[in-house]
Amino acid sequence: MEYTKPLPRINSDNREFWEGCRNHELRFQKCASCGHIRFPASYVCPKCLRKDFQWIVSAGIGKVYTYAVYHVAYHQGFLEDLPYVVAVVELQEGPRLLTNIVGCPPEEVSCEMPVTVVWKDATPDISLPMFRPL
Amino acid sequence: MNREKTYAIVGVGYTPQGRVPGRTSLSFHLEACANAITDAGISKDDIDGLICYRHFPASSDENDLTPYLVAQHLGIEPNYLSQDAN
Amino acid sequence: MLDAGLCRYVLISYGHNALSSDSLFTMLMDFAGDDAVFGHFGATGGYALAARRAMHEFNTGPQTWKHIAVAQRAWANLNPQAVMYDKPMSFDDYLSSKYVVEPLRLPDNCLVNDGGRAVIVATLERARDLKHRPAVILGLGQHNPSVQVTQSGILTGSTGARKACETALSIAGITRDDIDACQIYDCFTYTVELTLQDYGFFEPGEGESWFSGGTTGPGGRMPVNTSGGQLSEAYYMGLTPLSEAAMQIMGRCGDRQLGPATQTKEPNIILVSDNGGILQTHSCCILGRI
Repeated sequence: MEYTKPLPRINSDNREFWEGCRNHELRFQKCASCGHIRFPASYVCPKCLRKDFQWIVSAGIGKVYTYAVYHVAYHQGFLEDLPYVVAVVELQEGPRLLTNIVGCPPEEVSCEMPVTVVWKDATPDISLPMFRPL
Repeated sequence: MNREKTYAIVGVGYTPQGRVPGRTSLSFHLEACANAITDAGISKDDIDGLICYRHFPASSDENDLTPYLVAQHLGIEPNYLSQDAN
Repeated sequence: MLDAGLCRYVLISYGHNALSSDSLFTMLMDFAGDDAVFGHFGATGGYALAARRAMHEFNTGPQTWKHIAVAQRAWANLNPQAVMYDKPMSFDDYLSSKYVVEPLRLPDNCLVNDGGRAVIVATLERARDLKHRPAVILGLGQHNPSVQVTQSGILTGSTGARKACETALSIAGITRDDIDACQIYDCFTYTVELTLQDYGFFEPGEGESWFSGGTTGPGGRMPVNTSGGQLSEAYYMGLTPLSEAAMQIMGRCGDRQLGPATQTKEPNIILVSDNGGILQTHSCCILGRI
């Protein structure tokens, strides 16, 4: 079935992140100088501006920092999903991610709710990290 | 109070607003500017600074709206020209 | 530019055929970037994320925002140029409106309208020879936290508003107690609450009681957005609040004029705010009569 929703734009900054997603791994850059774990993927550390880092793999567990329930479809590809939940999930390792909460009705989502990652294989090359209640 | 180093709004320009079909975004900038100039009681040649608010992408039937375009259509050559990236 | 002597008269303009063209649709797709992958688009979605976190952290939500929406509609009902001039709104009208992106309903959103607005700034010396009483810039401040909403730790305050306002008040040499009215950038009702909260008018969670009883509407002790604002008059980014503040000080507001006409304080000093992004930039300006 054709995937009708927007896909991420891959570039030299985020290629490794999306490669990780394709393998169902949430990867983040950990600064080799100050230890800050950053997201979105970036050429420099936003705390110390150093460029050296290592990729770490997240356990995929976190909590809902905040969320919003869409009742209108701004894009045709989301029409069938209404109402759907967009959330900012804060992972245990620190980074916050924009994502969708799936696996429960919108009314059951709340701030601070524990969640874990699940993967949506959109295309052979792109998998999207989504989260369900733990 | 030093009147030379104190600044004030001296004119305001309005346009029709709401649902006003058949108009370009550029035409609204121009009408608002022309009305503000009249409201202030100055001539357009007095205007030597132009700041255009950050524009949204142009509609598919319009060119990209820049402060250059607004200045050109107003027939002015300001000393200071910018787009307010809000 | 004026201070440096580079300019004598600065023109600031806004124009957009937002309602009658396809420009906004293009904008939604262009500006969403990779957020669109997860169905996250536009300012409503961004502010909805901020507003929901606020509801989690302190007492706020539709029972607070209804006061903001209804008070501004009442001002618009006094303004023949306002898009919502002939459309009164009650609390029931507000609460029975549909959600756009929950927790934000349609009346929590600014208008989408065609039109333009412009102001001209000059020195007070030059203003002497011109037509209207000048609306004097008494103070200015800016502060830009910049972080996108999905990474932001200031969704519930303190936003750029706090420092921007402190700077503006300090330059003007006044305190909040000297303010007669506010024109607050109101892309959303929640924005008005958060801005006034960060400006120090009330503590987090006290917004509902502060707004209750018509505080910000006609006849209120702190009028806010007296043209109807972006919610009920028209949307021109910061030029909506700035132009209305100027017109009020100039005394040209007819039925909505601050002062005896609306049983409110004479507008000697008005606080004006402007925002950008989703709580990413903030500008505070104080206009006054001299």
